[in-house]
Amino acid sequence: MASTQINSGAQSRALPTMRQVVESAFPIIVIYLVMATIYSVVQPSALSLYSIESLFNNSLPLMLAAAGATFVILQGGFDLSVAGVISLANVVVAVAPIEGPLGALANFAMVVAIGLVVGAVNGYVVAYLRIQAIAATLATMIICKGVALLVLGAPGGYVSDFMAYELTASIFGAVPIAVVIAVAVMMFWSVFRTTNSGRSLLSVGQDEHAAALSGIDVAKARFMSFLWAGAFYGAAGYMLAAQTATGNPNGGDPFLLLCFAAVALGGTAFGGGRGGVTASLFGAATLMLMQKVLFAVGVSSFYTGVIQGAIMILAVLFSAFVQAATSRRNTP
Amino acid sequence: MREGVLQTSALSKRYGATVALSDVSLTIAQGEVHAILGENGAGKSTLVKILSGVVRSNSGGMTLAGEAYDPHSISRARERGVATAFQELSLIPNMTVGENLLLPRASRRSFWPDSRSSILHRSADVLREWQVADIAPDAIVEDLSLAERQRVEITRALSHASRLLILDEPTAALPDPEWLFEQIRRLTARGVAVMYISHRLGEVREICERATVLRNGQTIDTVDLSGVDDDGIFAMMVGRSPDSAFSEPVAARPDAEVIVDVRGLSVGKVRSLDLSLKAGEIVGLAALEGQGQQDLFRALGGAARPGDGKITVGGQAATLGSPRRALRAGAGIAFVPEERKTEGIFANLTAASNIALPEISRASHAGIVYAGLEKNVSREVASKVALSPRYLGFNVGSLSGGNQQKVLLARALITGAKCLVLFDPARGVDVGTKQSIYAMMRDFVAGGGTILFYSSELSELVHLSSRCLVMYGGRLVADVAREELTEERLLAAAHGHSHEMKVAV
Repeated sequence: MASTQINSGAQSRALPTMRQVVESAFPIIVIYLVMATIYSVVQPSALSLYSIESLFNNSLPLMLAAAGATFVILQGGFDLSVAGVISLANVVVAVAPIEGPLGALANFAMVVAIGLVVGAVNGYVVAYLRIQAIAATLATMIICKGVALLVLGAPGGYVSDFMAYELTASIFGAVPIAVVIAVAVMMFWSVFRTTNSGRSLLSVGQDEHAAALSGIDVAKARFMSFLWAGAFYGAAGYMLAAQTATGNPNGGDPFLLLCFAAVALGGTAFGGGRGGVTASLFGAATLMLMQKVLFAVGVSSFYTGVIQGAIMILAVLFSAFVQAATSRRNTP
Repeated sequence: MREGVLQTSALSKRYGATVALSDVSLTIAQGEVHAILGENGAGKSTLVKILSGVVRSNSGGMTLAGEAYDPHSISRARERGVATAFQELSLIPNMTVGENLLLPRASRRSFWPDSRSSILHRSADVLREWQVADIAPDAIVEDLSLAERQRVEITRALSHASRLLILDEPTAALPDPEWLFEQIRRLTARGVAVMYISHRLGEVREICERATVLRNGQTIDTVDLSGVDDDGIFAMMVGRSPDSAFSEPVAARPDAEVIVDVRGLSVGKVRSLDLSLKAGEIVGLAALEGQGQQDLFRALGGAARPGDGKITVGGQAATLGSPRRALRAGAGIAFVPEERKTEGIFANLTAASNIALPEISRASHAGIVYAGLEKNVSREVASKVALSPRYLGFNVGSLSGGNQQKVLLARALITGAKCLVLFDPARGVDVGTKQSIYAMMRDFVAGGGTILFYSSELSELVHLSSRCLVMYGGRLVADVAREELTEERLLAAAHGHSHEMKVAV
């Protein structure tokens, strides 16, 4: 009974199956690369460092927000508080700017703390009090937006120079910091998903009942997902402030729907259990890049929404098709 | 007598008004394989849930290895050495076998993952220890067959059970129980006790020494299996119920018209089933849970689309496929589903609106529905099910379970269908309502209709049916005539007992 025998068993495989490939971030990465190629062809100036920097700086807040939302969606939940937390984080940074790198770090700690508090409220109410997620997170969204208006009644304020200039620049004049952050999030996810907490999260989304019978603390996994989401929304608001160099109490509003669009485009199932943060990051980046491409080829901005929506439907249909095709094989 | 590992005394569990367990007392000795036997609804699954930490008991005590035992989670039960292989399988479909075996702690450290190869190695060790050679630890669970999944589920429980292993219908999907029996013997040799729940008496006799029989949530007795024959066990499972609740059953005339005729029906678990229902007869259906009865009823009621086969209603070929089509088909089939709360009722509408719904055109003028007309339309059928007219104006959600059931039955009657398909119509209702439902059923067939009904209560089947079909593994395995109807007979056939088996119509 050597282990080699087990590894050479009939069902052992070295290569990922078709379904694993399709369920990974692979398809959305391909879509992204195709779109990036088109963009660089129709708009050769896109390859300048300045354009690349600005593209990623534009995309990063949505990418972080989508990454956060993915944690909740993977466990089968729903979180609307994203718009509120981003707005609140954005104005807090703009009314209390602290100069210098350490100041920027302090500001960052503040927004993450805000996100964690809101996430903890969401998580407690949804996971332990078992209130419907849509109602609970709608309420926290409205509260956060209200508080954001109390903090800053109209767009204004300013952020520290370090945030506005250094965080939106490039390292060694070659790699935009936004890209570094996005890659760091991907690396974090690739580790996190295989930790016990990551497995619990995915298991709960896959089959809550089976997860509970497997000994997983379902309520805790749910609660934690809202914490992660809150922290990422806070970071998204922070990067939005860095990019716009100002505060806007309604700054988070556009993120609400785009965030879900990005997650769906990335291929994460809204029922939970399938997908991942990396896919959502690329989904968000693709949505933003698509706007640029459409603009570059001269499509009127009035059509942007129509085309974005159509591509989303195609992406969802594609993943549903793959799901059906691969699961049919397994039913008797 | 060996030392007792698990002891329960007067364990009870209520879900709302429903009493699932009322008095369960049993002792399982060290190294013993102890069977739990009982009909559907006897309380077996509730007992499993309490012992494995899924739900907590309302009262009563448990001791494990001499210490008080009252787990409030699966992990707590595992810490005490109690592990369960669940009937419904608790594996995460898109994870590997290895990850599933090690859940919820696939990695040994909390914040840092173990490498893939470490997880594979540790899970390969588990598989090897329990002699599972043909399932790879890196196979994805959803790619496995049901039998393989069941073995993974059992292996996981085996690996956690240091005091008590609970197996809930472990062989439901296993073609060959030899592997399982071998592992059970190895486990008990270490002094671990096994609680074995199965409806296959042959297996139980092979592997178990003693059995505890449950009925209606109570312990009836614990017996040495060598000292009692199958009939004795069935008699204990069924008990003796008063016959007075039932009047003389009806029977169809031999020349009665066939209203529904089913040939070669395959749907869900049902495999090429033949069935015919004649005017004037009440046909019962007995089956253990999950033998395909839901699929059959849903197909006849039009709630599930049949995969294959021919259904003739009132002499016309019918393609069912939606409840509306089932109603329109020939003489019509009206279906009352199992889950009245989720599938049957509009809790926020009045009883009259619920009843009149299929005939809503009769309750309306120029497209507008009038409450008064609804009441008039529904009054006649309401009286047939003995639903008091004063309830017609109430919201159905505020009525008792029994009255809700009457509303549903009245709605089935108002359609004018010649065939009623009723899934456990008297489940969970009080005795008075049961009597009204039985009376309605008899009146209905006396008026030339036909009824097919499933019941989880054998006594109901025995006393109400003109004849009773028995379903096992998606097939009809017996058609018991009126004269031969006994609960023991039905129970034996429902357990797939092969002797005396007759092939159905």
